[in-house]
Parts: sequence; structure tokens; C-alpha cells
Amino acid sequence: MTDGPGMIELSRCQSCQLAYLPSDGPCPRCGSQDRKPHPVPALGAVLVATELMYTATGWTAPHRLALVEMPEAVRLLGIVEGPLPAPGDLVAVRKDADVYRVHTDPTLQVGRGEGESPKAGRSGPSFEPPR
Amino acid sequence: MSVHVASVGMGRFGKRPEGLIDLAAEAGEAALDGVGRKPIDLLVVGSMFSHGPYGPEALLPRLAGRLSLESANGLRIDGASATGALAFHAAVLALESNRFDRALVIAAEKMTDRSTADNTRDLATSLHTSEVAAGATMPLLAAIVSQRYLDRYGGTPAWFDAASLHARTMALDNPNAHFFGKRVTAAEISSSKPVALPLRVMHCSAMSDGAVAVVLERGQGPATVLGLGQGFEALRVVDRNDLTSFAATRIAAKRAYEASHLTRKEVEVAEVHDAFSPFTLIHIEDLGFCGPGEAPTWFERGWVHRDGRLPVNPSGGVVGRGHPVAASGLAEVAEVALQLRGEAGQHQIARRPKVGLAQAVGGVASHNLVTILGKEGP
Repeated sequence: MTDGPGMIELSRCQSCQLAYLPSDGPCPRCGSQDRKPHPVPALGAVLVATELMYTATGWTAPHRLALVEMPEAVRLLGIVEGPLPAPGDLVAVRKDADVYRVHTDPTLQVGRGEGESPKAGRSGPSFEPPR
Repeated sequence: MSVHVASVGMGRFGKRPEGLIDLAAEAGEAALDGVGRKPIDLLVVGSMFSHGPYGPEALLPRLAGRLSLESANGLRIDGASATGALAFHAAVLALESNRFDRALVIAAEKMTDRSTADNTRDLATSLHTSEVAAGATMPLLAAIVSQRYLDRYGGTPAWFDAASLHARTMALDNPNAHFFGKRVTAAEISSSKPVALPLRVMHCSAMSDGAVAVVLERGQGPATVLGLGQGFEALRVVDRNDLTSFAATRIAAKRAYEASHLTRKEVEVAEVHDAFSPFTLIHIEDLGFCGPGEAPTWFERGWVHRDGRLPVNPSGGVVGRGHPVAASGLAEVAEVALQLRGEAGQHQIARRPKVGLAQAVGGVASHNLVTILGKEGP
């Protein structure tokens, strides 16, 4: 199955029901290889985005990357296309060969009106458990 | 069966004209001199790159020949930035098996003859391929971890400036450190070039040349191995539940404390793997020296200085000492041994310690090691 328009394919572990990426690998929680495709809307919330100024050989600086939280708390590292998003921004995600690409779509920003900050209407999701 | 560090040989870290073999041999010779050239029956060598004319296969036999150790057995270890500590652990385990009496452990790296981009690419071989495919590097992932730390505890990058300033201040007194005698200010750190914000150049360790060696032998001394611990965490950083703490450190520390029958309260000096200054904060929390989010206060109040509550990285740490990547893990252990033996010279802490802890980090904390050294018994 390929990712359809506006959708992105996760895997659903048939043993422990975890949703995860990469969609062709074993379950990171229980190790089961028994999985089914699990398409979800290709929208995520930015946790952190930054701009790398010293890239490895073969890459061009600045290189922008974002840690994005997708539905069911699945996270991915995506290459940012366009301006650097802020934490909490909603971004569209698409799969491109071996990588994910993300871009900010102004129409996606929930509760953002004139004069409001990019974070208005939502706070950045927090996935760190209590310590 | 006890094993102790009988001698340490450490050359200067920084930009060196010598090649890898010469650097490694210099440290090895110094460590051998330290035990009066007693016979060695195990040679353990750690290096991550071994690039250029040397080749990974040639490193071990070349060093064996150079150091006249052809009659010894040999092991070559590669564990990314934890290589040196992993080589040390391997040698301890070998001696504890009773098959060997005395081991020479050498960890060395040559980096300054290559471009930053090439080193960055090769350092990224310790990361998950899916993250490398997206152009991620060690500093990029460290920046993500660092930003999450600030977000969680409501901090500012000034916390990282303070950690970097501590490391660089400690290095002023360590003649072997990359930044020996090079005084900087907090303002210079906070205005240094961005690498991947919130990380700036002066929050990152320098790519250095350098080598360190220790002789381990069966028996006891002021730097006896009291406990070893290792821990793993998901290689893919995005798969981790918590980005503000490293499970691999917590697991390794728990094992080392249990093995030594000690707690963090008995530790009187610590060398931790601050390849990036923000990691220093995370490390001292994960090792149990303070609670989550409390580490910045320790730096602000000077509790980590040589005369503080717990001296941390009195050598300058990785940021101050420089980061010949494979050597750093062994340098951390060696520096603790020097403190315990009262041989740290200008950077000896105010009160000679009886117990010290060294922590090493592989990759972005996917494989971490903790080593506790000290005097055995009451």
C-alpha cells in the first residue's frame, strides 16, 4: 500500500496494537513482525524545529529539520520545506522515498488569528512522561 | 578478583602534527613507563575512524610492534564515542577472567587532518540510518534534546553557556586539554556561531587529535575497579519516550552502583561525557547527583567546581579537553584514576577523593557506560 493523498502510512502491531514507524519494521515495543498498514491523516504538530548550519558531506547548509508528533503519538524527523516552523505549529507531512518532508500550511493553524502568536490556540504537545 | 589502574599515560589533546600511531604509541609508552615496563599480556586498542594510511585492520599489529608487545594478545574495540570506556571495560572483564595479569588499554583518534563535514558524516555512522537519511547529524539531534530540556524546565540557553564556561574554566588548568590556557567569557559563548539552535559552537566539543592509555593489573590500589555498568537506549532518537534524560545512563549507573555496593553519595569526583554542554546537565541528573531539572542550579552556584559539593569534570570534560572521539571515554576513566591517585597536578580537586565515577556516551546516548573506581574496602 502507498501513502494516499493527505494520508501517511503507519504500521499497527497486531500483537500489542502499537502504532509505529517505520512502516516496514518490527514493532519497537514488543518486536512482533505481525503488522498491518495503518493510514492516518498526514498532519502533525511540531515539537522542535531547528536549522543545521554545519552539515555532513553531501548536504547543504542551512538544513532544516523538525521533530513532529503525528496521530497516536508517533514521532518522526522530517526535512522542513519552506520557513522554519515554531513549536506547536501544525504541519503537513509526506513521504518521499526514504525520508519525510514537512511544510507549514497557514490554513492548518488552529485558532490563529491576526495578532496572535504562532502558538496561539494550542500548546506544544509534551510526550515526556512524568519523572 | 580485583583489578586496578596501575598507571595512566595521556598526551596533549588538540591539533597535533603526529599521526594516529604516533599519538597512540606516545600514550602507551607513558603508561608502560608508569609501571616500570612490567610485562603486558593483553593489548586492547580503541579507535573509531582509523582512517587514512593506517586502516582499521593495521592498527592493532602496528601498535603491538611499535610497543614491543608482539607476545601479548590483542583486541580492537569500536564503540563510537564510548570506544575508550568500552575498551577499558573489555580489559577489566578479561583480567577478571584470570587469563591475563596485566593489560595495556589505548584509545586514540586523529581528526584534525579532515574537514568538519567529513568528520560530521563519519560521526553520524553511530546514528540510525533513517535519521542520517534525513540529513541529521550528532549536533542536530543534540540540539533537539537540548531544546526539549529547556522546554521542560523553563530554561534559557544561558544554562548551556554556564555549563560550557565551567568546562572551559576547568580546562585552563589542564595542560593536556585542547583549551588549556584559553580563557573565554560567557558572552563569547552565548554569541558564538549557531550550529543548530539552541546549540552554538562553544556548546560543542572540538574535534581533536589525542590518545590516552592505562595499564590495568590484577590487585588493588587507590584506583581499583569497584563497579562497571552499561546501558542501551533506542538508537532512533525519535523512538525515545523521554528526550530530557538518557535511559542508557540510568541503567548503566544502576548497574555500576549495585556492583560497587555504593551509592551516588559516596562519589567524590565525576567525569561525565559532555560532548555537548547541555548533556552535562542531563548526565548529573541521570547519575543521581541531583534531581530532574536541578542541574542548572549546580552550575550557577559553583557546586561542580574543584572545591565544590561534587567536582564534575575537573579536567575540563569533553568540551574543555577536546574530543578525539574514541579517546574521550578512556580519558574520563583515566582522569578519575589520576584524581584518586593524587596525580592530577594542576587540576587535582581540593580534597583527594576515595571514590570517583566516569561516564561515557556512545552516539546520542544509545550506549552509555559507567565506571566506578576507588579504594576497595573500608
